[in-house]
Amino acid sequence: MRLPQFTYHSPDTLEGVLALLDEYRDQAGVLAGGTDLLVRMKHRLTLPKVLVSLKHLDTLSYIKETSGMLCIGAKTPIIDVIRSDKVHQQAPALGQACERIGAVSIQHFRGTMGGNILQDNRCIHYNQSQFHRSGRQPCHKDGGKICYARDEADRCNSTCQSDGATALTALDAQLTLNSTRGERRVALDAFYTTDGIHPFDMQPDELLTQIDIPVVPGAVSTYERLSFRSAIDYPIVCAGVRLVPDPDDSGCIGSARIVVGAMGRSPLFLAQVSRSLAGVTFDDTAALEKAGKDAMNAAAAFAAHNAGAELAYRQAMVEKMVARALTQAAARPSARKAR
Amino acid sequence: MQTIDITLTINEQTHTLAVKPNDTLLEVVRDYLDLTGSKEGCGEGVCGSCTVLLDGHPVRACLTLALEADGSAVTTVEGLADEDTLSPLQQSFIDHGAVQCGFCTPGMLMSATALLKEQPSPDRKAVRKALSGNICRCTGYAKIVDAVEHAARPEPGCPDCHTKDTGENHD
Repeated sequence: MRLPQFTYHSPDTLEGVLALLDEYRDQAGVLAGGTDLLVRMKHRLTLPKVLVSLKHLDTLSYIKETSGMLCIGAKTPIIDVIRSDKVHQQAPALGQACERIGAVSIQHFRGTMGGNILQDNRCIHYNQSQFHRSGRQPCHKDGGKICYARDEADRCNSTCQSDGATALTALDAQLTLNSTRGERRVALDAFYTTDGIHPFDMQPDELLTQIDIPVVPGAVSTYERLSFRSAIDYPIVCAGVRLVPDPDDSGCIGSARIVVGAMGRSPLFLAQVSRSLAGVTFDDTAALEKAGKDAMNAAAAFAAHNAGAELAYRQAMVEKMVARALTQAAARPSARKAR
Repeated sequence: MQTIDITLTINEQTHTLAVKPNDTLLEVVRDYLDLTGSKEGCGEGVCGSCTVLLDGHPVRACLTLALEADGSAVTTVEGLADEDTLSPLQQSFIDHGAVQCGFCTPGMLMSATALLKEQPSPDRKAVRKALSGNICRCTGYAKIVDAVEHAARPEPGCPDCHTKDTGENHD
């Protein structure tokens, strides 16, 4: 399959990249690892006139800890995140999520952390070859007025199937976006527009440069994912959770963040279910399982036929993924210490 | 259309090539250099038959722009054998009957070569994980995993590990 034609630039500096993005805006595509962008280009789902490669921007590839934050450069390869002890200690959910991204030879060396968050929303009806799509009317995301994922829907029902985004939302991460106009920081859960066509609150001249994860003392986090084939398929349901122990050392959960991915147009942070866990002891399995059920009830409404599995199955599995992630998080050594 | 000169070291031979921006590394090795060992299966990063080593790491050649590989060292399946002597892994594939139609084999060999370089004696689980991004539509996975597992560490009870001693199964 040939790629469409484009002009290629690989600036040596961040300023050079930002200047090109400012010049070409909507017509530019940012190429980091290319594992998402090039596939969409081959399918003619996106046709940038200009590709701005981050090839020479190795300054955006790092994992460091500064003033209570774990900072990951947007161009850090997935493999570096997987191999980072800092990540596994301070943000285990992210480490687990990255291990589950694709296969060693697909994403781990080429794919980047920033690219994983910024992968476009997907839908089994949309992410198909040009030939496949040519046999029917275009859907909302493809410029038409039909949704094949949900009958008579007036808007796009694609879903965010990024492993990294779900884990990072649970970890309450923040993003740093740069442009020629300056720098802007945004919390990951405020970064989503809930529009399946343009899922990110990001201008065409902006570049994601850094991901910050707050390091919360005693916090435990895990990520759980369900997919057909581990290495090739995107998750059909996934869940990321973070539990912070009560500061009084009472053995209770002080605050929780439960996030369900691959169901809605963005990772779903379930605020009410998360709040219900405050004050619950870490070994209260019944409460953790109930939170799984509540999460299923809260997330089920967002599901559409967009991931190739039966809806009822995916909805039922939300409960399992959340309950499993919570139980595992609660059983982590640092959570046990809090008891 | 714009062409750009790049330098690629492929199987220890340096090539300077004028490539188009939308040429993938796979198109360059197959169409420019006639190294047709690497296969295009799906062309979208799913099947793994185009896997090559880029600076020693396995990547999908169909999803790597040739321009992005500029200045890198690339190993394709043609670079595994030392002239007429197959690499131990390639020999093990033959000995264990791990090649059926053969289309996935170059990708399997490259993914497995990268694994063995990092973990000289991997267990079965590690082999399966390393090969999880490579699809074999003949579904001959068991023998492929055997071949990789036994390549560095011939197993005492395995009859296939010893075929090369007797010379029974191949000329």
